[in-house]
Amino acid sequence: MDKDSFLARVGEYHKGGWRLALINATTVLAADEATPGVFEVTWAFAKELEFETIRETIGQADAVPSVSEFFGAAFLYENEIRELFGINVTGLGLDLKGQLYKTATKIPFSHSAIRARIEAAAAAAAAATVKKA
Amino acid sequence: MKRTVIPFGPQHPVLPEPIVLDLILEDEKVVEAIPTIGYIHRGLEAMVERVEYTEMGFVVERICGICSFMHGMGYCLALESIMNVEVPDRARWLRIIWAEISRIQSHLLWLGLGADAFGFENLFMHCWRMREEILDIFEKTTGGRIIHSVNRIGGVKRDISDSELVAIVAKLDELGKAFDKTAKVFASDASIRHRLSGVGVLPMEDARAVDAVGPMARASGVRIDTRLTGQNLYDQLEFEPVLETAGDCLARVVVRMREVRQSIDLVHQMVEKMPKGEGLPIETKVRGMPSGETFTRLEQPRGEVVYYVKANGTKYLERFRARTPTFANVPAMIKLVKGCDLADVPNIILTIDPCISCTER
Repeated sequence: MDKDSFLARVGEYHKGGWRLALINATTVLAADEATPGVFEVTWAFAKELEFETIRETIGQADAVPSVSEFFGAAFLYENEIRELFGINVTGLGLDLKGQLYKTATKIPFSHSAIRARIEAAAAAAAAATVKKA
Repeated sequence: MKRTVIPFGPQHPVLPEPIVLDLILEDEKVVEAIPTIGYIHRGLEAMVERVEYTEMGFVVERICGICSFMHGMGYCLALESIMNVEVPDRARWLRIIWAEISRIQSHLLWLGLGADAFGFENLFMHCWRMREEILDIFEKTTGGRIIHSVNRIGGVKRDISDSELVAIVAKLDELGKAFDKTAKVFASDASIRHRLSGVGVLPMEDARAVDAVGPMARASGVRIDTRLTGQNLYDQLEFEPVLETAGDCLARVVVRMREVRQSIDLVHQMVEKMPKGEGLPIETKVRGMPSGETFTRLEQPRGEVVYYVKANGTKYLERFRARTPTFANVPAMIKLVKGCDLADVPNIILTIDPCISCTER
């Protein structure tokens, strides 16, 4: 992603009186394990009745810049996507140092964690089928 | 000056659910507050990986026991939007009737907790007694007091007969009269004013700066309410959000009190305007697999909730995300706590009406 043009777009929303409604990440798995998957990160803004988004697709090792300089509440979403998805966010307004969530699985929405859960569910289903047969 | 760190929570008399704030104090003043959540993080959003989209609504309802109806409704609205499902009119009206009744029970629950926190046990009992009557309505119409499971993708599972709707309106009127007496105590009692008036003031510009939502923002004079979009039939109702301007703890109490009255009035209007008659359709059968993505917004009792759903044409969704109002109000809570006296922290935290189950999912 182009950090400067991204921040310029976010700055325009801020100037226009929009509020930050949500920052969301989605783990997009590749078709096979050998291909690295990506993250879709979405910044959603609301102003009265309107609702608009900025979407960036980033690699697993890529970083996204914090938007805290425009929206003070961004730190919570940014700490969340860092802790749950492992996305590197630079320039956090308030760095909670991994203390926000207490999860049993470290980075539960990482590509490897999701793949492991899906494989475990498939194995459990297969075992149940064999037992039934 | 020497700084002291006092952990607030995870267990505290004013907290029905666990959250931790590490309060950094200089003398008796809070200078910093660092939140930690996650004590009841259940990973519900991750369940889309193994729960089919038709069943996921039941999981979403269980995000929280206070907002369960509207979580189910928001999930169904999102899927209906992706799958282009036309929901029958009567079902749409029934949904918003239940939604407003949910708002009443949530506010009554909170007003009771608030009264308990500032040491007014009797008021707590009155509020919760009234809330029980609302839960009776839910039990009678949905079969459940807390988890209702009445929303379905395409409509609702149960109808409410016209005569029953009239009885509900009469019941709410009766409840409204009883509530007026309780509200008078909230608004005029000297001890309540002393504890809440001028405490935890969030000015309008600060509420905007931290993107506060719901009664939290409206108590600071910010005219923000998802119902103003006119979606979900609110464009057919006379509705103007309740606003207060003081921005303090008392203003947040007053907004919720007035919203109880407003929701009773909205249910009146809804019952009057909805299509009448027995046997009207309440559900559209949904077939196929969803594909696409959408954002849906609703006004829950605590403010705007945003649902994001991404579907990939299989029976499992690729992503479900709920950004709840408490999550959006945590930055406002931190802002309020900074600079206040330690003794005021419990009331300030309570007056954002924190729902930690919603926040953590």
